[in-house]
Amino acid sequence: MVMSITFEKLSYTYQTGTPFEHHALQDISLTIADHSYTAIIGHTGSGKSTLLQHLNGLLKPTSGKLVVNGQMIDTKTKNKQLGDLRHEVGFVFQFPEAQLFEETVLKDISFGPKNLGKSETEALEIARQKAKLVNLPDDVLEKSPFELSGGQMRRVAIAGILAMQPNILVLDEPTAGLDPKGRIEMMEMFKQLYEKEKLTIILVTHNMNDVANYADNVIVLEQGRLLRQGVPTEIFSNPEWLNKHHLGLPQTTAFALKLQERGINLQELPLTEKKLAQKLAALLQREVK
Amino acid sequence: MSAIIEIENLTYRYAPDDIIPALDNINLSIKEGQWLAIVGHNGSGKSTLAKAIDGLIAPQEGTIKVAGIKLSEDTVWDIRTNIGMVFQNPDNQFVGADVEGDVAFGMENQGIERSEMVKRVHEALTAVNMSQFAKHEPVRLSGGQKQRVAIAGVLALRPNIVIFDESTSMLDPEGHRDIIKLMKKLNTEEKFTVLSITHDIDEAALADRVVVLDNGKIIADDSPEKIFARGQQLIDLGLDVPYPESLKQELAQLDVVVPKEYLSEEGMIDWLCRLLLKN
Amino acid sequence: MDRFILGRYINGDSLVHKLDARDKLIISMYFIVIIFLANNWQTYSLLLVVVLGCVGLSRINLGFFLKGVSAMIWLIIFTVLLQVFFTSGGTVYWHWGILTLTHYGIVRGVYVFCRFVLIIFMSTLLTLTTSPLEISDGLESLMKPLKYVKVPVYEIALMLSIALRFVPTLMDETQKIMNAQRSRGVNFGQGKLIDQIKAVIPLLIPLFVSAINRAEDLAIAMEARGYHGGEGRSKYRQQIWHLQDTLALGLFAIVTVALLFLRTW
Repeated sequence: MVMSITFEKLSYTYQTGTPFEHHALQDISLTIADHSYTAIIGHTGSGKSTLLQHLNGLLKPTSGKLVVNGQMIDTKTKNKQLGDLRHEVGFVFQFPEAQLFEETVLKDISFGPKNLGKSETEALEIARQKAKLVNLPDDVLEKSPFELSGGQMRRVAIAGILAMQPNILVLDEPTAGLDPKGRIEMMEMFKQLYEKEKLTIILVTHNMNDVANYADNVIVLEQGRLLRQGVPTEIFSNPEWLNKHHLGLPQTTAFALKLQERGINLQELPLTEKKLAQKLAALLQREVK
Repeated sequence: MSAIIEIENLTYRYAPDDIIPALDNINLSIKEGQWLAIVGHNGSGKSTLAKAIDGLIAPQEGTIKVAGIKLSEDTVWDIRTNIGMVFQNPDNQFVGADVEGDVAFGMENQGIERSEMVKRVHEALTAVNMSQFAKHEPVRLSGGQKQRVAIAGVLALRPNIVIFDESTSMLDPEGHRDIIKLMKKLNTEEKFTVLSITHDIDEAALADRVVVLDNGKIIADDSPEKIFARGQQLIDLGLDVPYPESLKQELAQLDVVVPKEYLSEEGMIDWLCRLLLKN
Repeated sequence: MDRFILGRYINGDSLVHKLDARDKLIISMYFIVIIFLANNWQTYSLLLVVVLGCVGLSRINLGFFLKGVSAMIWLIIFTVLLQVFFTSGGTVYWHWGILTLTHYGIVRGVYVFCRFVLIIFMSTLLTLTTSPLEISDGLESLMKPLKYVKVPVYEIALMLSIALRFVPTLMDETQKIMNAQRSRGVNFGQGKLIDQIKAVIPLLIPLFVSAINRAEDLAIAMEARGYHGGEGRSKYRQQIWHLQDTLALGLFAIVTVALLFLRTW
């Protein structure tokens, strides 16, 4: 079985045939490889959320199709057939802590597996594992999720998604509203899931630093169309193009660009702080010699 | 310039038997026209402090004076006319049915004459560049636009002090930029005293003065340059450092000798150019 | 749900739309009262002509009004049948046990049917041409006298207007939470009844929590903006009574006179 996601000429229109008709996605064709870390970038209203909602069958294409790990979804796909997809693709919504409802953290995490038909004990076992995976301390497991801090609540929610044991994890601005430390810890946790649990990660973000630091594949959307797809170095190598589409640069790249304008030759624009520091250190050493 | 806000020995506990108070013996004096940023990780007490200043919570110990008036049950409504607040969640502070109705809400509370309200709504919406949206309902606005409406609501009341309580944290980059720009305008052009509660380091960098809170205590109070030079200490507190500072740290780890003092982006570029482009 | 609460108001700039909400509220209520003056074919015809005239002036498709009737069709049929079979007098056409089909019965049935249609058309006209906010403003203004008997009219109106303002926000929220729980394997509206009831809990609790959080935030924001009850507040939204509003009232006074003249005494 081919483990990947393929969109073929997929379009989606909201409220077809009404005055409010809105083409949210138009003619999207792209492939997301298995075990890749894909970042989707674009402005508010570029179609990012609509695209995501196709991945686990919350929306079905108006035309075209997509194939997720061998399962085809097109206009005619029945809702009943989408059950497996929800199992395959874990979806972490924006502010996912809004989905918590159970009396205890553990019960909340085990809600998903129970819906999948797992027994109570199995489900709780999975919940314990996943709680560990998102670095929740043991002493919160029996507490009410509503007593926890914002950051911890979010971890509970994410564990609840991981408990569905998906192969693909979709993250819609997962760090929104967190403080700097919480943000870094969260992003590092996803990196662990990507590296150790071998999940395919699809991240929607406005933060270009995160794209530069974590992703290996970038999809750029604009007004419902696929503008570009490529590796981060490719995408960020052309500041004028990004500027033209009102997209930002990672801080490092922006800084390096300014150095270059002042006459410091860095050759290729670096994306991460470490790379830039290494380049600068090397240049400095040469100066000293 | 005189102090417009004076806080002395302020202590606040959410519940009387809380061991760690949310605010722990805070002493702070804010000058008129100053832009003060209060930074700290989530739960450090920074929003609690903002609410205390506006009399939205009642501290157990200590005093707060705003424009010379001591905050008490009798004075709280007068003090609130001096202070405008913009909160975090754009949706949850939109009271009116439409944009102009929301801007007018605060004025209605003060019983201001309708003809005066119409004038001020128009002025305030023009100031935040939202006049073309006057009749729009909140559902049809973006987060950044809703925050601009909230700012207009504050402006219409003509306070002296504006408190931004994490007002940019839920916005997309565009909304974020817009609100920061407005904050700048309010402080430099309109001479408002600005208090911004934030963990956004770029927002803090614009302030005249930065106060760092941790566990309800003020642990640092200085100019942004001096605060940012603390580098690693800020990171340990769960905060960010500005980009040049964190690059400096990376370089230091690679055994590059870096200047001790804080460098702005310009300063950092100049420093690197001096080293690398000697000839 | 969307269509039920909100889709009722249809934006427009017809004469009916432009009438003051207070005027429209008074007229619709008054009209419902005078319907009971009608008791023969002349009077019912007069009222039907008046209502259809108003509908015409609103320039809203008749279909919207018929939908209102069809929504209540079972209640209408039940009441009409009751009238038809339990009214005695006049020529008896059919008879079975306690059920009789008489001339009077049929006439009464037709009249009751007309009454329903008139009431539904008129109240639908009110909600189709007046935004919920205008209705709440209008009610507030009309209920003002109740302040003297300590009814918190102002607070009720503010609550109503805030509730209306948050309806779309909470609907959005509902959709988001449903999607989130679907992603955790919940099937809304599928399976056995007991499963469906169970599926509501993971939706209702988060929704409740979120609504409470919002309410708390909103209360703080309102207080920070100086809200301390309805006392001493001024009003930004204005309701202006125009000449056309008085004329519309006048029209219905004339209709009343005509009704009194035409009805069977």
